[in-house]
Amino acid sequence: MDEDIAFFAIDHARKLGAGYADARLEAHYNELVIVANGKVERAIINQKCGIGVRTLVKGAWGFQSSTNLSKDSVKNAVNTAFKVAKASSKHVPKPIKLAPTRAYHDSYATIVKTDLEDVAFEDKLREMLLWENRLHVSRAVVRGMVDYSGIKIDKLFVNSEGANIRFANTLTWAIMKADAKKGDLTQFYEQTMGHSGGFEIFEKEDIGKVAQEIGRKADALLKATPVREEKDAKVVLDPNYVALLSHEIIGHPSEADRVLGREAAWAGTTWWAGKIGEKIGSKYFTVYDDPTVPETFGYYLYDDEGVKAKRKVLAEKGLLKVHMHSRETAAVFNVEPNAGMRAITFEYIPLIRMSNTFFADGDWKYEEMVEETRHGYLVSTQRHPSIDDRRYNWTISAQEGYEIKNGELTTHLRDIALTSTAPKFFVSIDAASRKGKVDPVPGCGKGDPMQGLYVGNGGPYLRAVANILGMR
Amino acid sequence: MMKTLDLKGIGELILQIGEQRGAEETEAYVVSNRVLTVRLVNNAVFEAKGVHDIGAGLRVIKTRGLGFSSTADLSPKSLKNAVKAALDASKARKLPFKYTFPSPAKAPRVSGVYDDRLVKLPSDGAVELAYDMVKASMAFNRKIIDNSGVFNLINYHTIVMNSHGLAARDDGTFFEASLTATAKQGAKSSEGAESTAGRSLQELKPKEVGQNAAEMAISGLKAQRLEEGTYSILLDLGPVSIITQYVELLSSPPLAKKDYPLFLDKVGKRVGSQQLTVVDDPLMPRGVRSSPVDQEGTPSKKFAIVQKGVFRTFVYDSFYAAMEKRQSTGSGNRYYFVVGVSQFPGRNYNLEPIPRARNPYILPGDWKRDEIFGDMKDGLLAKRFHYSRLTNPTRGDFTSVLRMGLYRVKEGTVVGSVEKSRLVDNLIDIMKNVDAVSNKLVVAGSWGDYVHAPVIRTKAHVTPV
Repeated sequence: MDEDIAFFAIDHARKLGAGYADARLEAHYNELVIVANGKVERAIINQKCGIGVRTLVKGAWGFQSSTNLSKDSVKNAVNTAFKVAKASSKHVPKPIKLAPTRAYHDSYATIVKTDLEDVAFEDKLREMLLWENRLHVSRAVVRGMVDYSGIKIDKLFVNSEGANIRFANTLTWAIMKADAKKGDLTQFYEQTMGHSGGFEIFEKEDIGKVAQEIGRKADALLKATPVREEKDAKVVLDPNYVALLSHEIIGHPSEADRVLGREAAWAGTTWWAGKIGEKIGSKYFTVYDDPTVPETFGYYLYDDEGVKAKRKVLAEKGLLKVHMHSRETAAVFNVEPNAGMRAITFEYIPLIRMSNTFFADGDWKYEEMVEETRHGYLVSTQRHPSIDDRRYNWTISAQEGYEIKNGELTTHLRDIALTSTAPKFFVSIDAASRKGKVDPVPGCGKGDPMQGLYVGNGGPYLRAVANILGMR
Repeated sequence: MMKTLDLKGIGELILQIGEQRGAEETEAYVVSNRVLTVRLVNNAVFEAKGVHDIGAGLRVIKTRGLGFSSTADLSPKSLKNAVKAALDASKARKLPFKYTFPSPAKAPRVSGVYDDRLVKLPSDGAVELAYDMVKASMAFNRKIIDNSGVFNLINYHTIVMNSHGLAARDDGTFFEASLTATAKQGAKSSEGAESTAGRSLQELKPKEVGQNAAEMAISGLKAQRLEEGTYSILLDLGPVSIITQYVELLSSPPLAKKDYPLFLDKVGKRVGSQQLTVVDDPLMPRGVRSSPVDQEGTPSKKFAIVQKGVFRTFVYDSFYAAMEKRQSTGSGNRYYFVVGVSQFPGRNYNLEPIPRARNPYILPGDWKRDEIFGDMKDGLLAKRFHYSRLTNPTRGDFTSVLRMGLYRVKEGTVVGSVEKSRLVDNLIDIMKNVDAVSNKLVVAGSWGDYVHAPVIRTKAHVTPV
């Protein structure tokens, strides 16, 4: 990448009179493969580079991106970003201000042991065909699918305050899914494995065995019993299910732009606006957002405003502590910016996004949590969420479950969904296990136009109370 | 910049490079896509953002292998690299069936999908039009305290060319205008929303958008709590657009296999009532997603996906048609969600086509909207769905938050607003219970996804939240 073009963009924005400007110059390499039932359905390689320029003019934002990196084209992009910001400033009653941050100079990269481009595309497809084949553990498995993606991003961030940060990021993941069918009944089981890093994630363990296990789970679900509805059931939630909870009812509502009502027209607002410092959960309700954990999907050391990242304690022992901020919302709340701004590519303006949002580990053993449950359910592996606009009422389905009777897992269950309200659920958490984990979430959606970003979510096993939605 | 970009010249160069490098067939899809987004928050213009995305997606076939790559760098050197990447990918993807790119065919004309006045609208003019929505909402009633929304303005120019001599252009303009208003009275607050889309400046009515959003918000201030139960429910345009979009997802073979299996094994089976017919009609004049050809150059045509309640067919592009030994339905579409690959409203070059209905809608029935109301003894009217999901995509369990715009209807009259509730039912049951479809189509949707929709009446289980 020719770094000079980014500096040129900033200089030109200054000359036009922008109060602040930043530029993200990026080169992207993406590969995508979908294998289904022995056939390679998708095999894609994308390459893209370009620049996104953000300007602050008379307290209003303007942004323009371009995939043409000639000097003339970038100059035009900056002119447009300046012009639209100026036009917008007429309708900004309170000019935008940015909380101060240091202008960092740094260069860093995710740890990559096997570069994506060092493994021949042909070899990757061959492996994926093998994994897909292993999903078919029985005749009942009528469809298998492996959906693989690898992304390399080389990003330079510069701004008019002197920041200069370069980040080489690689993300690699695969979703494996098996559909099993018997008569009119179809069940599926899927699992996502991924990390920030290279192709080595698939060299660490025997993926064929993982695939077989997924196939076996789908097959076993055909024999499972449909769950019955039950109000206020005791539920033990596994870390993968907790990951979706932490994402939907803690991560998103913590975003300061939602708290300020700025996402009202899209995903909505948040029920805990104005509740910082209030107790909203039990002592096991401690949640972090931490981009600094290596190898996680939400890994970064500086956000897309050049703010240095650190662990954010969103909630601690039930107390709501802090929101995720941009420099601008930090100024509104009069707090330090905490590196929450990211964009999926240079073509998008950054938004406040979660990084790795997860529940803190507790002091229980998982086995104890089950043993000390007289009647309840183990709810395992996330499926689909539907959350209301304030992130208050939620419904999240799971792939499988077990009834717990007198401290033991008994009947294998299918078609489970839980529903509750966030405060009722947070207060009901009465146990959290040791050794939680953070799972990859490859497609967190937000913004208009929509940005599908990679984040990490997770936690330990949690025990709480929720309503079981079963067969209607 | 856009006027000087020679899409055809770039396409020809790609075909030439493909031939030189030994590809048996080459396809080029060259795009110039411009998007201007004005985002409104807290009664102000929060940000105005623009994208100019130019690039090419190319597919090659060589020794029964199919490969794809894309690039945003249209220099000859970069195009050569892109052809090489596609050829590398083709070595890895050998097809167990015969596949060839579409042959040239005469494309029909589609009227009303390009408006030069939208293209020439200056950015500061777009900002003013967007803000008109806020002004109209604030002027509607003093109880309106907040507005947020978006105005998206898109224009795209594309050409698809292949070695068979196919060369088809697709040029279009599109806008989306939506606003969510918040009303407050004492401790009670409520929301209202309106959203619309179109292909020409003439269709844009920002004042109406603002007023309708405000009206819904004000009506919600007197909302009453609902008793849980199964209700006769009149689904207005917004909810019907969501159901139509689900039919679109469920009828795409790759999406059905991946995430939405509900219609697998249901060809020829009943999935809706006799009243329900869903067509794909990309030839519809001024259709929100109409175009003369699909995104691999196959001429558009109208066909039924669900006919009188029976699921007739999945939709096909040339690739899935060859895989399943069928005919393409002209449904090659390069718009779908892939993480790490930027996707804007308009046209995208960085993904292969997949089959997906291009301008689907529920065929109008013979009821007037007022007649459907008049025929309701006791039920609900839902104007908006929020966060709708198939929580069990194999069985069809469906849920949606009725966040705003929910009303009680008694003896043919709207008697009052209902507090936020959740619909929990089964999508196929909802479709099978449709007993009335209105006779008029209006554009509806949100968040970039719009279709034409009638009003329908069905039954559903609704619970307060």
